[in-house]
Amino acid sequence: MASIEEIIRRVYKALEDEEFQEALWKASLGSEVRVPRILQNYEYIRELAREVTEARKKSIDRLDELIEELKDSARKTGVKLFLADTAEDAREYIGGIIGKGKLVVLSKSMVAEEIGLREYLEEKGNEVWETDLGQLLIQLEGSKPMHTIAPAVHMTVERAARLVREKLGLEIPDNPRPEDIVAEVRRFLREKFTNADYGISGANAIAADTAAVVLVENEGNIRLVTGLPPSHIIVAGMEKIVETLELAVKQAMVQAAYASIYPPTYINIIAGPSSTADIEHTRVYGAHGPREVHLVLVDNGRMKARETPLRDQLRCIRCGRCQWECPVWRHTANIWGGPTYGGPMGINWTGITLGVEEAGPLTLLCLQCRRCDVVCPVEIPISRIIHWLRRQYMDRLLLS
Amino acid sequence: MVLNVREILLLMAEETEKNGIPLPINPRVITEWAEGLGLPEKGDTLLYTGGLYQLMPYINALVKYLEVLESRPSGGFLLKAARKLGLTGLAGAIAKPDRREVEYSHKVLRAIVKLLQSAGVEFAYNPSADGYSGVLLYDMGLDNVFRRHAVRVYESLKKAGARRIITIDPHTTFIMEKVYPEYVKGFDIEVVNYLRLLREKGYKPSGNGGRVVIHDPCLYARELGIIEEPRKLLADAGYEILEPRRSGRMTYCCGGPVESIAPRLSRKIASMRARELSEKGRRVVTLCPICLANLSRAGEKLEINDISLYLSGEA
Ligand code: SF4
Repeated sequence: MASIEEIIRRVYKALEDEEFQEALWKASLGSEVRVPRILQNYEYIRELAREVTEARKKSIDRLDELIEELKDSARKTGVKLFLADTAEDAREYIGGIIGKGKLVVLSKSMVAEEIGLREYLEEKGNEVWETDLGQLLIQLEGSKPMHTIAPAVHMTVERAARLVREKLGLEIPDNPRPEDIVAEVRRFLREKFTNADYGISGANAIAADTAAVVLVENEGNIRLVTGLPPSHIIVAGMEKIVETLELAVKQAMVQAAYASIYPPTYINIIAGPSSTADIEHTRVYGAHGPREVHLVLVDNGRMKARETPLRDQLRCIRCGRCQWECPVWRHTANIWGGPTYGGPMGINWTGITLGVEEAGPLTLLCLQCRRCDVVCPVEIPISRIIHWLRRQYMDRLLLS
Repeated sequence: MVLNVREILLLMAEETEKNGIPLPINPRVITEWAEGLGLPEKGDTLLYTGGLYQLMPYINALVKYLEVLESRPSGGFLLKAARKLGLTGLAGAIAKPDRREVEYSHKVLRAIVKLLQSAGVEFAYNPSADGYSGVLLYDMGLDNVFRRHAVRVYESLKKAGARRIITIDPHTTFIMEKVYPEYVKGFDIEVVNYLRLLREKGYKPSGNGGRVVIHDPCLYARELGIIEEPRKLLADAGYEILEPRRSGRMTYCCGGPVESIAPRLSRKIASMRARELSEKGRRVVTLCPICLANLSRAGEKLEINDISLYLSGEA
């Protein structure tokens, strides 16, 4: 557990890193203007956000029932469902499916980060590649994602070029442009996609009625991760379940808009393994897409969080807007907010997944300025929850 | 070196329990501004300052002291020693605030009194019922200390016969209006912010005119919805209002709330905001003593004054 003094020390180090500060500042200014513009250009988004907020509240209330319903639909669509109580359970289950000596491609998933999946699979002797460009840079740097949607937001193009040159041996010219890096990485990853034994993705939303998962993206890597390898494993938090596929798609649209990527280039819906019945009406699985689809739902503190004010945080759709808008986060990125998640939402997610002890000291750097509360698309009282965590923590700190 | 946070919080908690304010200073600093003004002491509407304006010079002195500690390798230890032994370093630093800042806070309070009087508001000021509201304790999550303190504040207000109190800054307004009812059983005092009150009275202030940049405080903007009132008052007083890039509901924090825990971070946020304000103009209006202190500390060449001074033609 990091003490408050240790947290401040890390923050101060970030304040002194000029490259870091500059990259972060540029990126956050962009987001601040883009989201309002999207909301203005696509008027229905606000309406959708309200609908999604209500749907999220309801699904958190009904989570136990929805899980039962999902079990049923998974059986019908041929999705292999596993409920993992802890991070460890989830890791071991997935490790059991994959075994060792395999090639695995990953698309960015915060829950995979939360349970330490990549490192675990690597330790077991697998070759594992992140395929989201930002997340790949994080993998190469050996750090943690600095934003929910834009993991490498703190990197300048020079820093990124240095990394892929040194770690992957790719040829990037001097005075690199982002295009140079993208092209080389694309070529490098192509071969991984086609030869991968397993593709692992997260999920933006999971529909209880159909066991379909919805995934939004711009890069196109998710299509490949979930489409090319013979097996697809989805790992997601239990709170991601909503009642219907209709709501799941809407939720993904809202997430994309508030993450300032609208329209998103791709919205993927995946309901079970690929199959064909074109020859003599016999169903054969694994036509062009995966032959098997696993859905691993992770609890890791979520169900229990429903009994505290953290409950409201569970309806988070991980758009990352509260991070861009936070005056502290703008100087620290996810260096502040917890070991996996970061910023305002990160503190609360740390509370959910690791407990008050771990989240408590983080809360002391929150300004309680409430910008996060007013920009959250699903109306989570983020700063109020942080204050609640702070009060729990203070009780213990001053007694100790 | 970073500060020993627990020590700072313990200092605040202990001092508040001991003498009602979060710092080791004489509680008279809260009420001395009213001496000689001849304000009535009895009435059912009381001016309740909450003490934040008055405490700021002392908090500034503390922050300055903490910044020095922070720059030393043994700062955290010194702080612990200072609290345990009541060492003169800490108490001495806080006890010697910048006199100009003290006078400034008195000027603000007197300007507010004058505005209320000119608007025809009937109110009393009872020094024994005025005092610190406990905002920092609540903010920092020191729940039990805060609750005990709030009950004491409520009792002394009741004893003074308060049915309604007039508050003058965002933090005190928020805490009295929204938090006290949650923490103090049977809390039945009506809370009204003075800017709202001036508007309700239809008061038209007169100022010196010119263009001013407005910096909304977070709590007025996002918690209490006091956004239009200051603008109308300033416009009535003859000022042209310039809006910074982030204003109104989306206003940006001055960094003040973390000033005593991570002074360097606080300063960084303040200078970011100060720069943003300076892009629109040099004359800045603040509505909160913490914003005033923190933005002034940020070092931009700004002329920052409290709204009350603009409205009374003193800025
Ligand atoms: S808390 Fe709200 S704003 Fe922050 S990531 Fe979650 S949904 Fe987005």
